[in-house]
Amino acid sequence: MPKDRLTEVLERYEAVIGLEIHTEITASNTKMFCGCPVAFGGEPNTRVCPVCLGLPGALPVPNEAAIEWTVLAGLATECDIALWSQFHRKQYFYPDMPKDYQISQYDLPFCSGGFVDVEVDGDGVGERLDLGGALPFVGPEAVAEDGGYRTRIGITRIHLEEDTGKMVHVGGSEGRIAGATHSLVDFNRAGTPLMELVTEPDIRTPEEARRFAQKLRAIWLALGVSDCNMEEGSMRVDANVSVRLRGSAELGVKSEVKNMNSFKSLHDAIAYEIVRHAEVLDSGGVVVQETRHWDAGAKRTSGLRSKEEAHDYRYFPEPDMVPFTFDPARVAELADRLPELPDARRDRYMADYGLPKRDASLLADDRETGCYFEEAVGLVGDTDARQIANWMLGDLAALLNAEGIAIGQARVTAAMLAELVGLVEDGTISGKQAKEVFAEAARTGDAPGAIVEDRGMRQVSDAGAIEAVVQGVLDAHPDEVATYRGGKTGLLGFFVGQVMREMRGQGNPAVVNEVVRRLLG
Amino acid sequence: MSAIDLSVLTARQVRDGVASGTFSAREVADAAYARIEAVDDDVHAFLELSQDLAYEAADRVDAMRAAGDELPPLAGVPAGIKDNMNLVGTHTTCSSRMLEGYESVYDCTAVRRLIDAGALPIGKCNMDEFAFGSSTENSAFGPTRNPWDLERVPGGSSGGSAACVAAGMTSISLGSDTGGSIRQPGALTGTVALKPTYGRVSRYGVVAFGSSLDQIGPFGKSVDDVALALEAIAGADPMDATSAPEPVGRYTQALDLGAEGLRVGIVRDMLDLEGCAAEVRASVDMAAETFAALGAEVGEVDLPATRHGLAAYYIIGPAEASSNLARFDGIRYGHRVPDAADVIDLYTRSRAEGFGPESIRRIMLGTYALSAGYYDAYYGQAQKARTRIIEDFRAAFERFDVLLTPTTPGVAFHFGEKSDPYTMYLNDVYTIPVNLAGNCAVSVPSGLCSGSGMPIGLQIIADHFAEETLLRAAAAFEEATAFEPVPPLARIPK
Repeated sequence: MPKDRLTEVLERYEAVIGLEIHTEITASNTKMFCGCPVAFGGEPNTRVCPVCLGLPGALPVPNEAAIEWTVLAGLATECDIALWSQFHRKQYFYPDMPKDYQISQYDLPFCSGGFVDVEVDGDGVGERLDLGGALPFVGPEAVAEDGGYRTRIGITRIHLEEDTGKMVHVGGSEGRIAGATHSLVDFNRAGTPLMELVTEPDIRTPEEARRFAQKLRAIWLALGVSDCNMEEGSMRVDANVSVRLRGSAELGVKSEVKNMNSFKSLHDAIAYEIVRHAEVLDSGGVVVQETRHWDAGAKRTSGLRSKEEAHDYRYFPEPDMVPFTFDPARVAELADRLPELPDARRDRYMADYGLPKRDASLLADDRETGCYFEEAVGLVGDTDARQIANWMLGDLAALLNAEGIAIGQARVTAAMLAELVGLVEDGTISGKQAKEVFAEAARTGDAPGAIVEDRGMRQVSDAGAIEAVVQGVLDAHPDEVATYRGGKTGLLGFFVGQVMREMRGQGNPAVVNEVVRRLLG
Repeated sequence: MSAIDLSVLTARQVRDGVASGTFSAREVADAAYARIEAVDDDVHAFLELSQDLAYEAADRVDAMRAAGDELPPLAGVPAGIKDNMNLVGTHTTCSSRMLEGYESVYDCTAVRRLIDAGALPIGKCNMDEFAFGSSTENSAFGPTRNPWDLERVPGGSSGGSAACVAAGMTSISLGSDTGGSIRQPGALTGTVALKPTYGRVSRYGVVAFGSSLDQIGPFGKSVDDVALALEAIAGADPMDATSAPEPVGRYTQALDLGAEGLRVGIVRDMLDLEGCAAEVRASVDMAAETFAALGAEVGEVDLPATRHGLAAYYIIGPAEASSNLARFDGIRYGHRVPDAADVIDLYTRSRAEGFGPESIRRIMLGTYALSAGYYDAYYGQAQKARTRIIEDFRAAFERFDVLLTPTTPGVAFHFGEKSDPYTMYLNDVYTIPVNLAGNCAVSVPSGLCSGSGMPIGLQIIADHFAEETLLRAAAAFEEATAFEPVPPLARIPK
């Protein structure tokens, strides 16, 4: 969908967007109500027991660690922590749900009333058309010259529940239920602790939704609560989207979009829905309240079923567990356990190392990246922090991207990068040589110092040695020397290049430059 | 062999006989199965016999004795297990077509503890389907008959567990009590029947009916026997989050403390309920006199909120049951129609065929009570009534150590006599409030009805986790009345 189509629609309509984000607490080694291990995949129905299979007579026993993780997640997103809460049963029949009810939370979630501030800059700024002019008293706050802004997204609640199993439909196309002859069900995932976060409908653009989800992922990663793997489904983002004419106070009919397994899909699916709603309304139709499925290949959403069943979940308090009480001291104790969160880390990188905001954010948003950065800086010294950042956001990022690996799996460790930067700083090798050394280290995992030794790449900075080479070059090119001395000083680079070639790239560029200039002068 | 007459011997006598070498545990098992062979065609207390498990347990006990080891407290004591409790090596059907042929894949904690204490698991006992009923007439596999009169019901839902003890097929048995399902059949069969405090015994492995009400408890021929069994099965269980951490009492040692100084309250307004047989009412007053004669301080108390007990119970119980029984959907186990067109068809027909009429009635009641728009009027109101009942009991236990009521309004009735559900539900009017409040209570035999010759039960109720006081009072009463009910069927072995 062309971007200007979205902009055109947003000129007339305001989008109202809320997100529901399910995150598996992968930090918990065991399931929510039994001792089965939590892991992705595996042979079907091998990580199950009477409890998570819902066998007759089995009872749930709550996983205290998962509850603590949820409280930590709430504390990290400015939520109030309920001092008294309980689980409820959410009842509906579905084959992937062993008990035919899900143990979830209803009116007494562990966390409620929080917020996350997101900052929008770059391309996404253009989607927010109501930012210019007088800002409302409460609303987006301009934070950058380019129109970048910060906006606060309210968090209604975070509650804890158990995940369902997984259905595999056999005989239909692409595993969909339509046309399937039968279905298989795998309960390995059933009972995995699942946090559900619901936002207020405070989001106005697809980009804000994307930034919120990215920010939330960064916070969850900083806490270590989940691996937040959207492709494997450990973080799942659903969006409720409606539009209304600008100036209208009444909310439009919403659709719920599911199956976005990347941040880009989240953005694109919401943009698609906004335009779809607008087109329905423009043509005099009414938006149907329904659940829709995002097809990333076709870049469109489609209704899951023509007739929505109105569910009555018959919530009631889970009688197999006693209610939970937290005393304020315990909440304070958990708050003390909160690690540094991405925004604070970013601000510290900007203040302590003078990094530009964009670089600081990129390093701070991922916990492992931040740890790598800090480890390297710790070895090489604060003054070289910018060099470390440049390497990480340049060559290292490109490498990770090309290999599709996480920073923790990179062959070039933080210690190796620190060593490499040190070799450049003390003049042992040139910046150009450093790129070669990095590439070699990334290929072999050898230490930069060893690579430099093995290849004899040690940079020559001795002016006397360089002078001899320069003199040789000048002697070999009398015509060019005359032309230079005649005023064509642009030939300097030619001489430097010749010298470097003679020195197989090992001449210290600064010294070579200085010597060439002097001998020509 | 002939030395072992389980209709006469108490569990403690069996255990002592095994310990002293008078007979072996294997011989006890032989005696139990011989007795079953003789009388269970008539009584139908058992759905399944577990000889392999029983003889395995007996051999373990005999080997311990041969080795000179100290024997566990229930060594060689034959026990019946209600068929809603899982035990590997047996089926757990809950007397339902829905679970016909369902093999247990893990052990119920209470059953495991009983066996670990040396008991012999003789077999699985008949019950009302999923514990819905008060007569065992709702079993999909045929009713159990009362050993006192085969034309009468043994009560329910734990009718098989009561009958197997009353008829001398086992010394003790385990039942489960959601609204009276242990105490009511205890009263109707002349056995001692204990519902412990909610949380006293783990519920792990008993198929849930009303999760906030269910409690496993023992049947026996004496107060001492149920105290022995309770010591074996009580205590916190990491598999049940509602099991209580309170330390387990020395119940058997509390029994000879007598009733002197005990504060005993007759629940006058419950006694005066319409529909309570005059002779039953009189038996409670006589019991009070007995306590007074033993030196207890006897008084009277009213529990006005308990008049809402039946109504509250028939909202909360079915609401929880409708949810607990959802898992019987034909997907993973249990009855499943072979020719379902789609998943909805599979659910609806499998459940309609698998569940009996009373189960369907309770599921529908509970589903309705929890539905949007009705929740506050039904479930919410019922919880308020429950809170008031809890408060009534709390206030009463500030004044009294134990309370007395009848266990049931009348004696065992004839098959088919209570054909409309409401009349049947009324049979539990005295027992239900105790489940709603979570207290412990025991039914002890208090006499025989002069007309029918059927046993009458006295319900003694105590505060939460006051089982020592409860059983002390029951033992004092038992000793004073010297009433040893032996049903005709037991007296005249075939």
